[in-house]
Formats: sequence, C-alpha cells, structure tokens
Amino acid sequence: MSPKAHSGWVRGLTICAGAAFAILMLDSAIHALLAQTPFGGPRPSAEPQVGGIVGWLLSKQSEFYREMSATIRAAKSDGSAVWTLLAISFAYGIFHAAGPGHGKAVISSYLVANQETARRGIVLSFASALMQSLVAVVIVGICAWLLNATAKTMCGAEKAIEVVSYALIAAFGARLVWTKGGGFIRALQAPRPVPAMALAVAAHHDHAGHGHDHHDHDHSHAHAQGHAHVTHHDHEHRHDDHGHDHGHVHDEHCGHSHGPAPSELAGPGGWQRGLGAIFAVGIRPCSGAILVLVFALAQGLFWAGIAATFVMGLGTAITVATIAVIAVSAKDLARRLSGTKEGGGALFMRGVEFGAAGLVLLFGVGLLFGYLAAERVTCF
Amino acid sequence: MNIALRCLLGLLWFAGALALGANTAQAHPHVWITATSELIYAPDGAITGVRHAWTFDDMFSTYALQGIETKTKGVYSREELGSLAQTNVESLKEFGFFTFARADGKKEKFQEPTDYYLEYKDAALTLHFILPLKTPVKPKELAVEVFDPAFFIDFKFADKNPVKLVGAPAACQMKFQRPNDGTANAQKLGEQNFLSGENSNFGMMFANKITVECP
Repeated sequence: MSPKAHSGWVRGLTICAGAAFAILMLDSAIHALLAQTPFGGPRPSAEPQVGGIVGWLLSKQSEFYREMSATIRAAKSDGSAVWTLLAISFAYGIFHAAGPGHGKAVISSYLVANQETARRGIVLSFASALMQSLVAVVIVGICAWLLNATAKTMCGAEKAIEVVSYALIAAFGARLVWTKGGGFIRALQAPRPVPAMALAVAAHHDHAGHGHDHHDHDHSHAHAQGHAHVTHHDHEHRHDDHGHDHGHVHDEHCGHSHGPAPSELAGPGGWQRGLGAIFAVGIRPCSGAILVLVFALAQGLFWAGIAATFVMGLGTAITVATIAVIAVSAKDLARRLSGTKEGGGALFMRGVEFGAAGLVLLFGVGLLFGYLAAERVTCF
Repeated sequence: MNIALRCLLGLLWFAGALALGANTAQAHPHVWITATSELIYAPDGAITGVRHAWTFDDMFSTYALQGIETKTKGVYSREELGSLAQTNVESLKEFGFFTFARADGKKEKFQEPTDYYLEYKDAALTLHFILPLKTPVKPKELAVEVFDPAFFIDFKFADKNPVKLVGAPAACQMKFQRPNDGTANAQKLGEQNFLSGENSNFGMMFANKITVECP
C-alpha cells in the first residue's frame, strides 16, 4: 500500500467516524428528545415496554393537555386557576414540541445545511414558535370570535394553511438542495486532478455555493495550516470562481441565497435570512392550541386561552431551540473532527449540508403528500 | 475518498430513513372518545354491521359545537346538530371509521354509515351511527378493532357494557380486549422494524379488539 493510498484510508475512516458521530448525536437527539420511537405510549399504567424518557414525555404531555380543559373551566369561577393554566400550558409546550410539527426537524436541518450559528438557531426557534401561536390566535380570533364560523369552516382554513406550509417547506428545501448540491458537487470534483472539469461543472452551478466555499476556505485556514497541495490548489480555484461570479452575488458574506427574493439577500446577521424558515414552519398552527383557544372562547375566557397559547409557544420554543442547538453543535464538532484532515473535510461538510438540505426537501414533500404524518388537523 | 463518500451517503440515507420512519409515529391524542359498540346480526346469523356510540371529551365537544346556531343557548337538538353529524360521518370515511374488521382473517369493508345523529348531554357530544358491512358475513371467527392508527384520537370503551352482540346466534362467544391488557398487540409491534415507514401503526398498540367466535 502506498503512503498516498494509506492516507486516503485514514481520511476515509476519520470522515466516517465524524459522520457516524454527528448522525448518532442527531439521532439520539431526535429520539431521546423528540420522543419519536413507536414504542412510546401515553398511558402511564399500560405497556410495560414503554419505558424511560420517551414514555414519560408522552404520558406527561397527555396529562397536561387533559388538565387544560378542567383548569379553564375552573378559571371561570376562580381567577387564580389562570396561573395554574399558564403553568400547565408552559409545561405542555415543552413536552409537546417533542411531538410532530413545530418544525424541529425543518429548523434543525436548515441550520445544519446553512452553516448557521447556535444563536441564530435559538432566534429562529423562538420566532417560529411565536408565529405559530400568533397564527392560532388569529385563526380563532377571526373565524370563531369575530365571524362565529363553525369548526368545519375553521378547520378548512387550517387545512389550507397546512398545505401552504408544507409547500413552502418543500420549496425551501428544494432551494437549499439546489444551493447545497452545487457546493457538494464542487467538493466532489475538487480533489481530482482535472481542474478544468471542476471549473466547468462549477460554472454551471449557482453562486450561493461559491460564497459558501469561500467562507469555508477562510475557516479551514484558521483551523488547519497543513493543507495538502492539491487541496490548496482547489481552494484557489474556487476562489477564482468566486471572483468570477462576484458580479452576481452582491453580498459575499451571505452566500447562502439563491433565487430572486431580495429579502433573502440580507446583510450579515440580518433577520431576513431565516425568514423563509420561520414563515414556512410558523404559519402552521398547532391543533392543540386551536382546540384550547376555542374551548376558552366558549367558556368566555378567550384572553386566558390567548395567554395559554403564547406560554405554550414559549415552552415549544425552548424545546425546539435545544434541539436546534444540539444539531448545530454536532455539526461543529463534526467539522472540527474532519477539518483536521485535508480536503476530505470540506467534502464531508458539503455532504452533510447537502444531506441536511435534502432532509428539508424530504420533510416538505413527505408532509405535502401525506407520507409523513404531522399532527392531524381536527376536521370532523 | 470512495469509501468516505459511500460511507457518507449510507449514513445520510440512514438518517433520512430514520427521520422519515420515526416521524410518522409520534402523536399524542388530542381527542378522547368513550365508545360503546354493538355488533348487529341478521336472523340468519350473519353479521350485518356495527353500531357505534362515541362520546367526545368536553374540549373537543366544545370545539365541534363552535358556531352551531341554537334556539336556546347551551341546548342543542338533534336537528340543530344534523349538519355537524353529517360532517362527522363524512370526515370519518377518510379514516375508515377507525373500525377494522376481519372475518376469518379476511379484511371486510364497510358501507357509508346510516342512522347517524349527534346528542348533546352533560357538556359532551355523542355520535351515534351504524356502520353496515358491504356484504354480511358468517365467519367462524370475527375480529373488530377500534383505534386510530395515528393516535390522534384515544378510543376508550365504556367501563360498563362496552360491547354487545345484538341478535347473534346463541352459540357465539364474544371476547373484548382493552388496549391496557393487550400484550399480544404490543408484542407484535415490538417485532416490527421501526425503520420501515409502512409499519407506523403506532396506534395499533392502543387498539380495542372485539372477537366473536361462532362454532
């Protein structure tokens, strides 16, 4: 075995270890925190195989949810019950975000795909949860309170919004895939000894990836001084590409955007970058919140329902943000692990980003066509 | 690089499969139904259908009543609830009425519900309907399960007289299994590979199973 081939093996193994670690982290995060195994069960008394955190989470949220109606009824005669209601709503939100919907998966995947920071992940989580609460209040406020529409009408509105949300997630994912696919393909081409090819392929792809590569270029330099010659060469190449396309990308710091939306091309630290994610995820209200709001309205305590909805959203945001931070940290860790090796690290990170972008697309399409069941809209 | 690439793609595929497979099965109930059911038999001993009476929890009952006009506040007549009852049974069709029947192991289909109406009592709505079988059957063993595969609705049968046989041949033996003692179901689910998206029959664990044996 030649030394070169050997180093290829080492690199492959390192990358695999990094990938396995990142995915295990994500997976355990998804499973432990999101309570996504089919073995979980909401009945505390039943199914001895429903064990540990998952069963406990599910049984808790069921409990909290059932307590809400009784607490709202109690609040009619005893104002202090509102505090109990808020406490229950908060706890419910925290536990409930573990369930489907609420955009954990979409937000986490988006963050990973887009090299976002943990701080931005927290902001995104809170903003989308806030928007979800707001949408629920607006739907019930307009449909039930103002227009006294029937549940059927309200549900129709909910369903329409749901479809829009899923379509947006899918579109958002498709754009991410397009953007990240370019970066991934270039990274694939990169170590090959035919730069002209790489250049040709790269030229066909969008500009966003270039900005991205540029970014990573700086990054790898900071971390790893000992670049192999081939990789270095490649970096320069991309750098050149970047220069080429500079006329199209007006803001090189924000190389993530592709497509016409000018708001997406916000400056560094701009809110607008994540606006698409917030909107796609946040526009779909939580069925539970709608039920609670209508119930509170019928009891003449609409304001208590609104307060409960926002507190619920706060709880949801905390869970989603936690998961998002874990996802981002896992990726950072993977980058550090893979970044110590030449070339392959960049490929690996591009691959992870591409994969995460693909997941967003999958989520959107899956939800849209009903392959993935999100929380059902109560329509009967 | 090839190994790394293959490894990476494999892992991504795995992550995707996990995400998709796991995502289908994670709801918690938002609606609670207390049910009673009757299995209806024809004089010749064939089962013709199931009559359900499903009482919704008070939160969902209130939600469903939103916007329904009444003459007297808080009192809903059967007529006033007529259109809601119709909406209910029409929507339930999409979910197969949450009722799954097998005659001697063969899946049986149901027709559109008949005799459906809603009743409002003690702050709760009860939906009554008859679910006729497409073709009446005379099996040795009949199994009827009531559950929501997505577990958005939690079906619990009434403590008293949960299931009745109406007009069944005297020799028929009925057994009713609640999900709480349904160790058989839980075991079956445990054997399933949770990675495969098709086996997301999470709610099956919470199935109520009626079995009738007619020798």
